[in-house]
Amino acid sequence: MALKSVEFQSPRAPGASPDASERELLERIARSKDQAAFRTLYGSYYQRLSRLLARMSVRREDIEEVINDTFWVVWTKAGEFRGASQLSTWIIGIAYRRALNALRRAKIRPVSDEPFDEDSISVMSTDAAETDGQWLALGLTRLPVEQRMALELTYTLGHSCEEVAAILDCPVNTVKTRLFRARETLKQVLPALAGMSGEKS
Amino acid sequence: MSARIPDTHAEAWALLPWLANGRLPASDREWVEAHVAHCAECRGELDAQRKVATQISRDTSPDMAGTPGSTGYGSTGNDEQRSFNKLWARIEASEGAAPSASGVAGGFSSRTSRTVRWLAAAVVVQGFGLALFGFNALRDNAGEIVTVAEVPAQRLNAPAVRVVFAPEASMATINTLLTHQELSIVSGPGTSGNFTAELSAKAVASGASADSVAAVLSKDPNVTFAQPVAR
Repeated sequence: MALKSVEFQSPRAPGASPDASERELLERIARSKDQAAFRTLYGSYYQRLSRLLARMSVRREDIEEVINDTFWVVWTKAGEFRGASQLSTWIIGIAYRRALNALRRAKIRPVSDEPFDEDSISVMSTDAAETDGQWLALGLTRLPVEQRMALELTYTLGHSCEEVAAILDCPVNTVKTRLFRARETLKQVLPALAGMSGEKS
Repeated sequence: MSARIPDTHAEAWALLPWLANGRLPASDREWVEAHVAHCAECRGELDAQRKVATQISRDTSPDMAGTPGSTGYGSTGNDEQRSFNKLWARIEASEGAAPSASGVAGGFSSRTSRTVRWLAAAVVVQGFGLALFGFNALRDNAGEIVTVAEVPAQRLNAPAVRVVFAPEASMATINTLLTHQELSIVSGPGTSGNFTAELSAKAVASGASADSVAAVLSKDPNVTFAQPVAR
Protein backbone atom coordinates (compact mmCIF):
# COMPACT_ATOMS: atom_id res chain seq x y z
CA MET A 1 0.00 0.00 0.00
CA ALA A 2 1.33 3.42 -0.86
CA LEU A 3 0.00 6.66 0.43
CA LYS A 4 -1.14 8.79 -2.46
CA SER A 5 1.19 11.70 -2.93
CA VAL A 6 -0.69 14.92 -2.36
CA GLU A 7 0.71 18.28 -1.52
CA PHE A 8 -0.25 19.33 2.00
CA GLN A 9 -1.69 22.82 2.13
CA SER A 10 -1.20 24.29 5.55
CA PRO A 11 -4.53 25.50 6.93
CA ARG A 12 -2.88 28.71 7.93
CA ALA A 13 -0.27 30.55 5.92
CA PRO A 14 2.70 31.65 8.00
CA GLY A 15 2.09 35.10 9.35
CA ALA A 16 -1.59 35.15 8.51
CA SER A 17 -3.54 36.28 11.54
CA PRO A 18 -7.30 36.13 11.85
CA ASP A 19 -6.70 37.00 15.49
CA ALA A 20 -6.92 40.77 15.04
CA SER A 21 -10.41 40.71 13.53
CA GLU A 22 -11.57 38.16 16.11
CA ARG A 23 -10.23 40.31 18.93
CA GLU A 24 -12.20 43.24 17.53
CA LEU A 25 -15.34 41.11 17.72
CA LEU A 26 -14.52 40.15 21.30
CA GLU A 27 -14.00 43.79 22.23
CA ARG A 28 -17.43 44.64 20.82
CA ILE A 29 -18.93 41.83 22.91
CA ALA A 30 -17.13 43.00 26.06
CA ARG A 31 -17.87 46.69 25.47
CA SER A 32 -21.49 46.67 24.35
CA LYS A 33 -22.73 43.06 24.47
CA ASP A 34 -22.92 43.21 20.68
CA GLN A 35 -25.04 40.26 19.55
CA ALA A 36 -24.02 40.56 15.90
CA ALA A 37 -20.34 40.34 16.86
CA PHE A 38 -21.11 37.36 19.09
CA ARG A 39 -22.98 35.59 16.28
CA THR A 40 -20.07 36.17 13.88
CA LEU A 41 -17.51 34.85 16.35
CA TYR A 42 -19.73 31.82 17.08
CA GLY A 43 -19.98 31.08 13.36
CA SER A 44 -16.24 31.27 12.83
CA TYR A 45 -15.64 28.60 15.50
CA TYR A 46 -18.67 26.34 15.13
CA GLN A 47 -17.23 24.06 12.45
CA ARG A 48 -13.73 23.73 13.81
CA LEU A 49 -14.96 23.02 17.32
CA SER A 50 -17.47 20.47 16.01
CA ARG A 51 -14.69 18.65 14.24
CA LEU A 52 -12.28 18.87 17.15
CA LEU A 53 -14.86 17.53 19.60
CA ALA A 54 -15.78 14.67 17.28
CA ARG A 55 -12.09 13.80 17.10
CA MET A 56 -12.05 13.71 20.90
CA SER A 57 -14.86 11.11 20.77
CA VAL A 58 -17.34 13.46 22.41
CA ARG A 59 -20.82 12.05 21.77
CA ARG A 60 -22.69 13.74 18.95
CA GLU A 61 -25.50 14.70 21.28
CA ASP A 62 -22.99 16.42 23.59
CA ILE A 63 -21.05 18.37 20.96
CA GLU A 64 -23.55 21.19 20.68
CA GLU A 65 -23.72 21.47 24.46
CA VAL A 66 -19.94 21.72 24.76
CA ILE A 67 -19.79 24.39 22.04
CA ASN A 68 -22.55 26.40 23.69
CA ASP A 69 -21.00 26.03 27.14
CA THR A 70 -17.76 27.34 25.63
CA PHE A 71 -19.43 30.37 24.09
CA TRP A 72 -21.38 30.99 27.26
CA VAL A 73 -17.97 31.55 28.87
CA VAL A 74 -16.92 33.75 25.93
CA TRP A 75 -20.07 35.86 26.38
CA THR A 76 -19.73 36.23 30.14
CA LYS A 77 -15.92 36.54 30.33
CA ALA A 78 -15.17 38.53 27.19
CA GLY A 79 -14.08 41.51 29.24
CA GLU A 80 -11.60 39.42 31.20
CA PHE A 81 -9.58 38.28 28.18
CA ARG A 82 -6.29 40.14 28.49
CA GLY A 83 -4.70 39.08 25.23
CA ALA A 84 -1.77 37.21 26.73
CA SER A 85 -2.45 34.45 24.23
CA GLN A 86 -4.11 34.09 20.85
CA LEU A 87 -7.88 34.37 21.11
CA SER A 88 -8.21 31.03 19.32
CA THR A 89 -6.08 29.25 21.94
CA TRP A 90 -8.28 30.72 24.68
CA ILE A 91 -11.55 29.63 23.05
CA ILE A 92 -10.34 26.19 21.91
CA GLY A 93 -8.72 25.64 25.32
CA ILE A 94 -12.07 26.26 27.02
CA ALA A 95 -13.75 23.81 24.63
CA TYR A 96 -11.04 21.20 25.27
CA ARG A 97 -11.51 21.33 29.03
CA ARG A 98 -15.31 21.27 28.73
CA ALA A 99 -15.02 18.28 26.41
CA LEU A 100 -12.83 16.40 28.89
CA ASN A 101 -15.54 16.98 31.49
CA ALA A 102 -18.19 15.71 29.07
CA LEU A 103 -16.15 12.57 28.43
CA ARG A 104 -15.79 11.98 32.16
CA ARG A 105 -19.51 12.48 32.73
CA ALA A 106 -20.35 10.05 29.94
CA LYS A 107 -17.69 7.66 31.26
CA ILE A 108 -16.28 7.38 27.77
CA ARG A 109 -12.84 5.92 27.34
CA PRO A 110 -11.75 7.75 24.20
CA VAL A 111 -9.29 5.11 23.04
CA SER A 112 -10.42 1.98 21.25
CA ASP A 113 -9.76 -1.29 23.07
CA GLU A 114 -10.81 -3.31 20.06
CA PRO A 115 -8.16 -5.29 18.19
CA PHE A 116 -7.00 -3.51 15.06
CA ASP A 117 -9.37 -4.75 12.39
CA GLU A 118 -7.68 -4.79 9.01
CA ASP A 119 -10.76 -6.41 7.49
CA SER A 120 -12.68 -3.19 8.01
CA ILE A 121 -10.57 -1.54 5.31
CA SER A 122 -12.47 -1.65 2.07
CA VAL A 123 -10.78 -3.76 -0.58
CA MET A 124 -13.29 -2.62 -3.16
CA SER A 125 -12.14 0.95 -3.27
CA THR A 126 -9.85 1.88 -6.11
CA ASP A 127 -9.29 5.31 -4.64
CA ALA A 128 -5.93 5.23 -2.88
CA ALA A 129 -6.70 8.38 -0.90
CA GLU A 130 -9.95 6.85 0.36
CA THR A 131 -8.19 3.66 1.44
CA ASP A 132 -5.41 5.63 3.13
CA GLY A 133 -8.03 7.66 4.91
CA GLN A 134 -9.68 4.51 6.26
CA TRP A 135 -6.34 3.24 7.55
CA LEU A 136 -5.60 6.55 9.16
CA ALA A 137 -9.05 6.77 10.76
CA LEU A 138 -8.47 3.35 12.31
CA GLY A 139 -4.99 4.34 13.41
CA LEU A 140 -6.26 7.48 15.10
CA THR A 141 -8.61 5.44 17.26
CA ARG A 142 -5.54 3.82 18.81
CA LEU A 143 -4.18 7.14 20.09
CA PRO A 144 -4.86 8.63 23.53
CA VAL A 145 -7.04 11.71 23.27
CA GLU A 146 -4.15 14.06 24.12
CA GLN A 147 -2.11 12.74 21.18
CA ARG A 148 -5.09 12.91 18.84
CA MET A 149 -5.67 16.51 19.86
CA ALA A 150 -2.04 17.42 19.28
CA LEU A 151 -2.29 15.97 15.76
CA GLU A 152 -5.62 17.64 14.98
CA LEU A 153 -4.57 21.03 16.33
CA THR A 154 -1.30 20.91 14.41
CA TYR A 155 -2.39 19.45 11.12
CA THR A 156 -6.01 20.48 10.67
CA LEU A 157 -6.12 23.79 12.50
CA GLY A 158 -2.50 24.73 11.77
CA HIS A 159 -1.44 25.76 15.27
CA SER A 160 2.18 26.25 16.30
CA CYS A 161 3.75 24.07 18.98
CA GLU A 162 3.44 26.88 21.52
CA GLU A 163 -0.25 27.40 20.70
CA VAL A 164 -0.98 23.68 21.04
CA ALA A 165 0.74 23.74 24.44
CA ALA A 166 -1.42 26.68 25.54
CA ILE A 167 -4.64 24.96 24.41
CA LEU A 168 -3.78 21.63 26.04
CA ASP A 169 -2.37 23.44 29.08
CA CYS A 170 0.93 21.58 29.10
CA PRO A 171 4.63 22.35 28.47
CA VAL A 172 5.92 22.69 24.90
CA ASN A 173 8.13 19.63 25.33
CA THR A 174 5.09 17.58 26.32
CA VAL A 175 3.43 18.53 23.02
CA LYS A 176 6.53 17.43 21.11
CA THR A 177 6.56 14.14 23.00
CA ARG A 178 2.87 13.53 22.37
CA LEU A 179 3.25 14.12 18.66
CA PHE A 180 6.39 11.98 18.57
CA ARG A 181 4.51 9.07 20.17
CA ALA A 182 1.49 9.60 17.93
CA ARG A 183 3.70 9.43 14.86
CA GLU A 184 5.32 6.22 16.10
CA THR A 185 1.96 4.61 16.86
CA LEU A 186 0.56 5.52 13.46
CA LYS A 187 3.58 3.94 11.79
CA GLN A 188 2.80 0.67 13.52
CA VAL A 189 -0.66 0.58 12.02
CA LEU A 190 0.02 2.31 8.74
CA PRO A 191 2.52 0.29 6.74
CA ALA A 192 2.87 2.98 4.09
CA LEU A 193 4.04 5.48 6.70
CA ALA A 194 6.50 3.03 8.20
CA GLY A 195 8.09 2.54 4.80
CA MET A 196 8.32 6.20 3.93
CA SER A 197 10.76 7.26 6.61
CA GLY A 198 12.83 4.13 6.60
CA GLU A 199 15.79 5.62 4.79
CA LYS A 200 18.78 6.28 6.93
CA SER A 201 20.96 9.32 6.47
CA MET B 1 26.49 35.84 21.72
CA SER B 2 24.91 33.94 18.85
CA ALA B 3 21.81 31.85 19.32
CA ARG B 4 22.30 28.16 20.00
CA ILE B 5 22.14 26.09 16.85
CA PRO B 6 20.91 22.65 17.96
CA ASP B 7 21.23 20.92 14.62
CA THR B 8 20.76 17.53 16.14
CA HIS B 9 18.78 14.82 14.47
CA ALA B 10 16.49 14.19 17.45
CA GLU B 11 15.56 17.84 17.89
CA ALA B 12 14.93 18.36 14.19
CA TRP B 13 12.85 15.17 14.11
CA ALA B 14 10.62 16.45 16.92
CA LEU B 15 9.94 19.71 15.09
CA LEU B 16 9.05 18.22 11.70
CA PRO B 17 5.25 18.47 12.23
CA TRP B 18 5.55 22.26 12.43
CA LEU B 19 7.88 22.40 9.45
CA ALA B 20 5.14 20.45 7.65
CA ASN B 21 2.36 22.85 8.69
CA GLY B 22 4.39 26.00 8.10
CA ARG B 23 4.25 27.20 11.72
CA LEU B 24 7.86 26.72 12.75
CA PRO B 25 9.36 30.02 13.95
CA ALA B 26 11.97 31.43 11.58
CA SER B 27 14.69 30.95 14.20
CA ASP B 28 14.09 27.19 14.20
CA ARG B 29 13.07 26.80 10.58
CA GLU B 30 16.49 27.80 9.30
CA TRP B 31 18.46 25.11 11.09
CA VAL B 32 15.78 22.42 10.78
CA GLU B 33 15.63 22.94 7.01
CA ALA B 34 19.42 22.82 6.85
CA HIS B 35 19.37 19.51 8.72
CA VAL B 36 16.60 18.05 6.57
CA ALA B 37 18.53 19.00 3.42
CA HIS B 38 21.24 16.47 4.24
CA CYS B 39 19.23 13.92 6.27
CA ALA B 40 17.36 11.41 4.13
CA GLU B 41 15.55 9.96 7.16
CA CYS B 42 14.12 13.37 8.11
CA ARG B 43 13.17 14.07 4.47
CA GLY B 44 11.23 10.80 4.39
CA GLU B 45 9.55 11.59 7.69
CA LEU B 46 8.66 15.12 6.56
CA ASP B 47 7.05 13.69 3.43
CA ALA B 48 5.15 11.12 5.52
CA GLN B 49 3.91 13.78 7.95
CA ARG B 50 2.69 16.00 5.13
CA LYS B 51 0.62 13.11 3.85
CA VAL B 52 -0.74 12.35 7.32
CA ALA B 53 -1.68 16.00 7.64
CA THR B 54 -3.51 15.92 4.32
CA GLN B 55 -5.39 12.78 5.26
CA ILE B 56 -6.35 14.01 8.73
CA SER B 57 -7.70 17.27 7.40
CA ARG B 58 -9.74 15.36 4.79
CA ASP B 59 -10.99 12.70 7.19
CA THR B 60 -14.63 11.99 6.58
CA SER B 61 -14.75 8.68 8.42
CA PRO B 62 -17.99 7.67 10.15
CA ASP B 63 -16.74 8.90 13.51
CA MET B 64 -16.25 12.37 12.10
CA ALA B 65 -19.17 12.56 9.69
CA GLY B 66 -22.53 13.42 11.12
CA THR B 67 -21.16 15.94 13.56
CA PRO B 68 -23.31 19.06 13.70
CA GLY B 69 -23.69 19.65 10.01
CA SER B 70 -24.83 16.93 7.71
CA THR B 71 -21.99 16.93 5.19
CA GLY B 72 -18.91 15.87 7.09
CA TYR B 73 -17.67 18.79 9.08
CA GLY B 74 -19.27 21.40 6.90
CA SER B 75 -22.16 22.46 9.01
CA THR B 76 -25.28 23.59 7.32
CA GLY B 77 -26.40 27.06 8.19
CA ASN B 78 -29.51 25.57 9.78
CA ASP B 79 -27.55 23.43 12.27
CA GLU B 80 -25.37 26.32 13.26
CA GLN B 81 -28.27 28.74 13.53
CA ARG B 82 -30.30 26.25 15.54
CA SER B 83 -27.42 25.80 17.99
CA PHE B 84 -26.90 29.53 18.26
CA ASN B 85 -30.61 30.09 18.88
CA LYS B 86 -30.44 27.69 21.83
CA LEU B 87 -27.44 29.48 23.27
CA TRP B 88 -28.99 32.90 22.76
CA ALA B 89 -32.23 31.84 24.38
CA ARG B 90 -30.19 30.59 27.34
CA ILE B 91 -28.36 33.91 27.57
CA GLU B 92 -31.63 35.80 27.30
CA ALA B 93 -33.20 33.67 29.99
CA SER B 94 -30.30 34.31 32.33
CA GLU B 95 -30.23 38.02 31.63
CA GLY B 96 -33.97 38.40 31.37
CA ALA B 97 -34.21 39.96 34.80
CA ALA B 98 -32.12 42.91 33.68
CA PRO B 99 -32.23 43.11 29.88
CA SER B 100 -31.51 46.81 29.74
CA ALA B 101 -28.34 46.38 31.75
CA SER B 102 -26.86 44.12 29.11
CA GLY B 103 -27.80 46.39 26.26
CA VAL B 104 -28.77 43.37 24.23
CA ALA B 105 -32.46 43.99 24.07
CA GLY B 106 -32.10 47.66 23.37
CA GLY B 107 -29.59 47.23 20.60
CA PHE B 108 -31.20 44.28 18.95
CA SER B 109 -34.21 45.74 17.24
CA SER B 110 -32.22 47.11 14.33
CA ARG B 111 -30.43 43.79 13.92
CA THR B 112 -33.41 41.50 14.18
CA SER B 113 -32.91 38.64 11.78
CA ARG B 114 -35.29 37.90 8.99
CA THR B 115 -36.16 34.66 10.74
CA VAL B 116 -37.23 36.44 13.89
CA ARG B 117 -39.19 39.01 11.92
CA TRP B 118 -40.89 36.18 10.05
CA LEU B 119 -41.71 34.40 13.27
CA ALA B 120 -43.07 37.59 14.79
CA ALA B 121 -45.28 38.16 11.79
CA ALA B 122 -46.29 34.52 11.70
CA VAL B 123 -47.36 34.45 15.30
CA VAL B 124 -49.27 37.72 15.01
CA VAL B 125 -51.13 36.16 12.10
CA GLN B 126 -51.48 32.99 14.15
CA GLY B 127 -53.06 35.04 16.91
CA PHE B 128 -55.76 36.19 14.53
CA GLY B 129 -56.13 32.66 13.17
CA LEU B 130 -56.62 31.17 16.59
CA ALA B 131 -59.13 33.85 17.47
CA LEU B 132 -61.11 33.12 14.32
CA PHE B 133 -61.27 29.45 15.28
CA GLY B 134 -62.71 30.19 18.66
CA PHE B 135 -59.62 30.32 20.82
CA ASN B 136 -59.90 33.06 23.35
CA ALA B 137 -56.42 32.82 24.79
CA LEU B 138 -55.32 35.96 23.02
CA ARG B 139 -58.31 38.05 24.00
CA ASP B 140 -58.25 40.53 26.80
CA ASN B 141 -61.04 41.00 29.29
CA ALA B 142 -63.03 43.19 26.95
CA GLY B 143 -62.93 40.54 24.26
CA GLU B 144 -60.66 42.53 21.95
CA ILE B 145 -57.99 40.68 20.02
CA VAL B 146 -54.56 41.42 21.38
CA THR B 147 -51.50 40.79 19.24
CA VAL B 148 -48.65 38.98 20.91
CA ALA B 149 -46.44 42.04 20.87
CA GLU B 150 -48.98 43.86 23.00
CA VAL B 151 -49.32 41.21 25.67
CA PRO B 152 -47.41 42.13 28.81
CA ALA B 153 -44.65 39.62 29.50
CA GLN B 154 -45.47 39.47 33.21
CA ARG B 155 -49.05 38.29 32.69
CA LEU B 156 -48.51 34.68 33.66
CA ASN B 157 -51.62 33.13 35.16
CA ALA B 158 -50.66 29.54 34.55
CA PRO B 159 -47.55 27.39 34.21
CA ALA B 160 -45.66 28.52 31.13
CA VAL B 161 -42.80 27.57 28.85
CA ARG B 162 -40.35 29.65 26.88
CA VAL B 163 -39.97 28.27 23.35
CA VAL B 164 -38.04 29.02 20.15
CA PHE B 165 -39.40 27.46 16.97
CA ALA B 166 -37.13 26.14 14.22
CA PRO B 167 -36.68 28.63 11.37
CA GLU B 168 -38.13 26.16 8.89
CA ALA B 169 -41.23 25.37 10.98
CA SER B 170 -44.34 26.47 9.11
CA MET B 171 -47.18 28.40 10.67
CA ALA B 172 -49.41 25.32 10.32
CA THR B 173 -46.83 23.21 12.15
CA ILE B 174 -46.55 25.73 14.96
CA ASN B 175 -50.35 25.86 15.24
CA THR B 176 -50.54 22.09 15.46
CA LEU B 177 -47.79 21.98 18.06
CA LEU B 178 -49.48 24.59 20.23
CA THR B 179 -52.85 22.92 19.90
CA HIS B 180 -51.53 19.48 20.83
CA GLN B 181 -49.84 20.85 23.93
CA GLU B 182 -52.82 23.12 24.71
CA LEU B 183 -50.56 26.13 24.82
CA SER B 184 -51.44 29.77 24.35
CA ILE B 185 -48.76 32.27 23.44
CA VAL B 186 -48.85 35.19 25.83
CA SER B 187 -45.72 37.13 24.90
CA GLY B 188 -42.97 37.33 22.35
CA PRO B 189 -40.99 37.30 20.31
CA GLY B 190 -37.92 38.02 22.39
CA THR B 191 -34.68 39.09 20.80
CA SER B 192 -33.86 35.59 19.61
CA GLY B 193 -37.38 34.71 18.55
CA ASN B 194 -38.43 33.16 21.84
CA PHE B 195 -42.06 33.12 22.88
CA THR B 196 -43.72 32.53 26.22
CA ALA B 197 -46.70 30.18 26.13
CA GLU B 198 -49.08 29.26 28.95
CA LEU B 199 -50.61 25.85 29.57
CA SER B 200 -54.40 25.67 29.48
CA ALA B 201 -56.31 25.04 32.70
CA LYS B 202 -57.52 21.77 31.19
CA ALA B 203 -53.96 20.62 30.52
CA VAL B 204 -52.89 21.52 34.06
CA ALA B 205 -55.92 19.68 35.49
CA SER B 206 -54.95 16.58 33.53
CA GLY B 207 -51.49 16.59 35.10
CA ALA B 208 -49.40 18.53 32.58
CA SER B 209 -46.73 20.84 33.97
CA ALA B 210 -44.35 23.39 32.52
CA ASP B 211 -41.54 20.86 32.98
CA SER B 212 -43.33 18.04 31.19
CA VAL B 213 -44.44 20.23 28.28
CA ALA B 214 -40.95 21.74 27.92
CA ALA B 215 -39.49 18.23 27.88
CA VAL B 216 -41.86 17.20 25.08
CA LEU B 217 -41.26 20.36 23.09
CA SER B 218 -37.49 20.16 23.37
CA LYS B 219 -37.59 16.79 21.58
CA ASP B 220 -39.68 18.13 18.72
CA PRO B 221 -37.66 18.83 15.55
CA ASN B 222 -39.69 21.99 14.99
CA VAL B 223 -38.47 23.44 18.27
CA THR B 224 -34.90 24.59 18.85
CA PHE B 225 -35.29 25.53 22.49
CA ALA B 226 -37.83 24.96 25.25
CA GLN B 227 -37.67 25.46 28.98
CA PRO B 228 -40.16 25.97 31.80
CA VAL B 229 -40.63 29.53 33.01
CA ALA B 230 -40.09 30.03 36.72
CA ARG B 231 -43.12 31.68 38.33
